[in-house]
Amino acid sequence: MKYFEKMRGNGQSPPQVSPAEVCWSWIGSFLGIAAVALIHYRLLDQLGLTMIIGSFGASAVLLYGAIRSPLAQPRNLLGGHILSAFIGVTAHLLLAEIPWLAAAVAVSSSIAVMHLTRTLHPPGGATALIAVTGGDSVYTLGYLYILMPVALGAAVMLVVALVVNNIPKTRKYPEFWW
Amino acid sequence: MHRSEKGFKSPIDLSETDIVAAMKDIQGYIDISPGDFREIFQVAYRHALERLVESRTAADIMTSPVHQVALGTDLRETAAFLSARGISGVPVVDQQGRLAGVVSEKDFLVKMGLGRNASFMQIIAHCLNNKGCVATQLRNHRVEEIMTTPAISAGPEISVEAISDLFIDRQINRLPLVDTEGRLLGIVTRTDLLHAYRLSC
Repeated sequence: MKYFEKMRGNGQSPPQVSPAEVCWSWIGSFLGIAAVALIHYRLLDQLGLTMIIGSFGASAVLLYGAIRSPLAQPRNLLGGHILSAFIGVTAHLLLAEIPWLAAAVAVSSSIAVMHLTRTLHPPGGATALIAVTGGDSVYTLGYLYILMPVALGAAVMLVVALVVNNIPKTRKYPEFWW
Repeated sequence: MHRSEKGFKSPIDLSETDIVAAMKDIQGYIDISPGDFREIFQVAYRHALERLVESRTAADIMTSPVHQVALGTDLRETAAFLSARGISGVPVVDQQGRLAGVVSEKDFLVKMGLGRNASFMQIIAHCLNNKGCVATQLRNHRVEEIMTTPAISAGPEISVEAISDLFIDRQINRLPLVDTEGRLLGIVTRTDLLHAYRLSC
């Protein structure tokens, strides 16, 4: 009885943010993704390299849209992506023959390791999954995937967050570095 | 903490409406649900309360100056002293003001040949059965003959938490506080202790 009672969800949702907050979230994420995408399409793509992966879209939500969140802090952004990338690549190398298992192990282990290292960053789960499901362009990178696109892309987005999120008086980033 | 009730509610009972209003005042998206914040607030409040209570010492809550009787006081006088002040026990001091012992109702009961935990009705029954009052045998005795000595005492820096533990473990109702030379500074009674836990609410 109590078990099903819990599914009702008796709490309430946090309030809507102010229009200014919406604007700054838009500006920050536009610039953050623009920076990563520009580097990708203007420089690296021609060299056969990658800078942009889907999980950065998720990081942008946190980094520019929920900047107070512990999940959005530098430690979590960098730690979460880098650790998850390592786990994702390792899962692919060990379990490439059984893709469904590689995918599940990559994501679940990433979450566990991020918890243990206090670097929980939801997009890290996507970063780990992409290492397993990303196709040959990702597989050929091997452990280089950790450095590029993952670490480098996250670092670029972090720089943009530091620059943009501290412009309005009402915003301050980060809450903590490490 | 073992002493706190699980269902403790802070005196300021924040409603979720208050919290949502505060979240609106503070710019930016705060990723906590109002219900979670309320829970954190209540638990944190309880921790703060415990910290405040337990960081207090005997010096903060003791009664001082303290009622006391001198060594050599006659038991009749001692009984009159206790009844006049409506107290059930008192520290006994020597000529230099140093704590020599504590005398309480229980010591009187023992001297009268009754148990430490004798009730008033037991005394009445005893008197009626023995054609006279058992208290008469207390005449011409001095307080040092019946007092508990050495008394359990402590320095004024003892924490409220440690006092509570002493009261429970040693089954005492008052704790005399003494300086390094053993001179009586004050006393913490059960009432003082109750106030210590209530005042900070």
